Amino acid sequence: MRYPFPVGKADFIQGDEAIARAAILAGCRFYAGYPITPASEIFEAMALYMPLVDGVSIQMEDEIASIAAIIGASWAGAKAMTATSGPGFSLMQENIGYAVMTETPIVVVNVQRSGPSTGQPTLAAQGDIMQSIWGTHGDHTLIVLSPSTVQEAFDFTIKAFNLAEKYRTPVVLLTDAEVAHMRERVYIPNPDDIELVYRKLPQNEEEARLPFGDPHGDGIPSMPIFGKGYRTYVTGLTHDERGRPKTVDAEVHERLIKRIIGKIENNKHDIISYEKFELEDAEVAIVSTGIVSRSAIRAVKILREKGIKAGLLKLNTIWPFDFDMIEELAEQVKKIFVPEMNMGQLYHLVKEGANGKAEVELISKIGGEVHTPMEIVERVVG
Amino acid sequence: MQIRLAGIGGQGVVLAGVILGEAAAIEGLNVLQTQDYSSASRGGHSIADVIISKEPIYDVMVTEADVLVALHQLGYDTVKDSLKEDGLLIIDTDLVKPDRDYVGAPFTRLAEETTGLALTVNMVALGYLVAKTGVVKKENVEEAIRRRVPKGTEEINLRAFRAGYEEGLK
Repeated sequence: MRYPFPVGKADFIQGDEAIARAAILAGCRFYAGYPITPASEIFEAMALYMPLVDGVSIQMEDEIASIAAIIGASWAGAKAMTATSGPGFSLMQENIGYAVMTETPIVVVNVQRSGPSTGQPTLAAQGDIMQSIWGTHGDHTLIVLSPSTVQEAFDFTIKAFNLAEKYRTPVVLLTDAEVAHMRERVYIPNPDDIELVYRKLPQNEEEARLPFGDPHGDGIPSMPIFGKGYRTYVTGLTHDERGRPKTVDAEVHERLIKRIIGKIENNKHDIISYEKFELEDAEVAIVSTGIVSRSAIRAVKILREKGIKAGLLKLNTIWPFDFDMIEELAEQVKKIFVPEMNMGQLYHLVKEGANGKAEVELISKIGGEVHTPMEIVERVVG
Repeated sequence: MQIRLAGIGGQGVVLAGVILGEAAAIEGLNVLQTQDYSSASRGGHSIADVIISKEPIYDVMVTEADVLVALHQLGYDTVKDSLKEDGLLIIDTDLVKPDRDYVGAPFTRLAEETTGLALTVNMVALGYLVAKTGVVKKENVEEAIRRRVPKGTEEINLRAFRAGYEEGLK
């Protein structure tokens, strides 16, 4: 097929544009959204590209309708995405829970800006880390990815679709205004070289009768597609393996929720992605995610030049979280620093992981600007 | 190399930065481009940062500029402190009164004389910058201009770019 942008070569594009192109290459053919800075360029690109690949891009009346539309599209068999920023992400929380409960593969992009409320629309922040994990109510889990470069914005979008399809779950791509609006040289691979994952479809009537069961023993049931010949019931109420509401049966509820959480938690080593820089002999560690990781890498280089054995653990996945890996790191180093563009969110996860084995210190910055490398260096040097 | 372009809204500073970045990408170099501007579409400062390197780029903005191109006093005053002590200052000599050594030409006037349009000042300044620094090849900038300027304005923009380039060679 022909793509509405060059493939198999490098291009010079913004993070938002990279996310849109990656979604198209991942097979996304339904986009619903409501414009909001700094995510609007994703919508703009989708509106331009979708008609050219026989897909649909639609503007809804608000963000609640946008996520509802992509959940519907996913049940109709499409890979589907929406993108927003803080205020819209807050509105989407209830239906993120609906997607968790109905095990609907969708990708939700949150381009973070400073909040709360409408805050600083054009400036970057990382204030939605906890919300991206825990924003919806009830016992649940989902997957959150966090890019730090335009190339990662591209790569992680493909990954987000693959994980959503593989685990039948909503995936949040949590980025920020800085990554979204910066332009970098990005390699757009040939479609033949991109590995794509598709949801399991029922192979027979028996499987189709258990869209919320565990017919494969891996916790991930096949997903029947509306209009393909099976009768399926989809509800946000607690339901049995066939999808029928069972709202007062404790055993059914426990079985359902434990399977939904288990299919992510039991596979977290397949899902979690991270990078280590200079950690082998490190005596102090920095743990970061997203845009701040760029300054953190430079900070490590400067600290090493000063003779301080510093290293960086860069988290590409924010959730699920590898608490054990942090504890091992805490056993190795004397102190862990967590620079983030908020008043302390990732810090709490790292502190829980460190389990008292090392001191954990937050390097907080708010107001819209990324930490400079020297701001991190100065705090580490003390 | 860290390059910072500074002016006011409406001078096409960000587009000049994007075209310079695209030219670097065409050459196969790593490049990052970010911008900072006020919410006004005309007037108010407008800054475009371009970082070009053979190595991976971790910075997200210019911290110590090797080159600062200033097209307006407001832009210059906003970011002049980010230029390295031994950095190169390029200015529109009609519109910026700097407090340090500089090179430059009356870019806006040159733009008007060449194309009849003051708004091609960004291409004139870009040509001057490329001639003075050699940071990217002239033909790659010309390719980037063809890709990035509005359809139908390619020739006007290329003419402005070449006028600035010639001026920079003097």
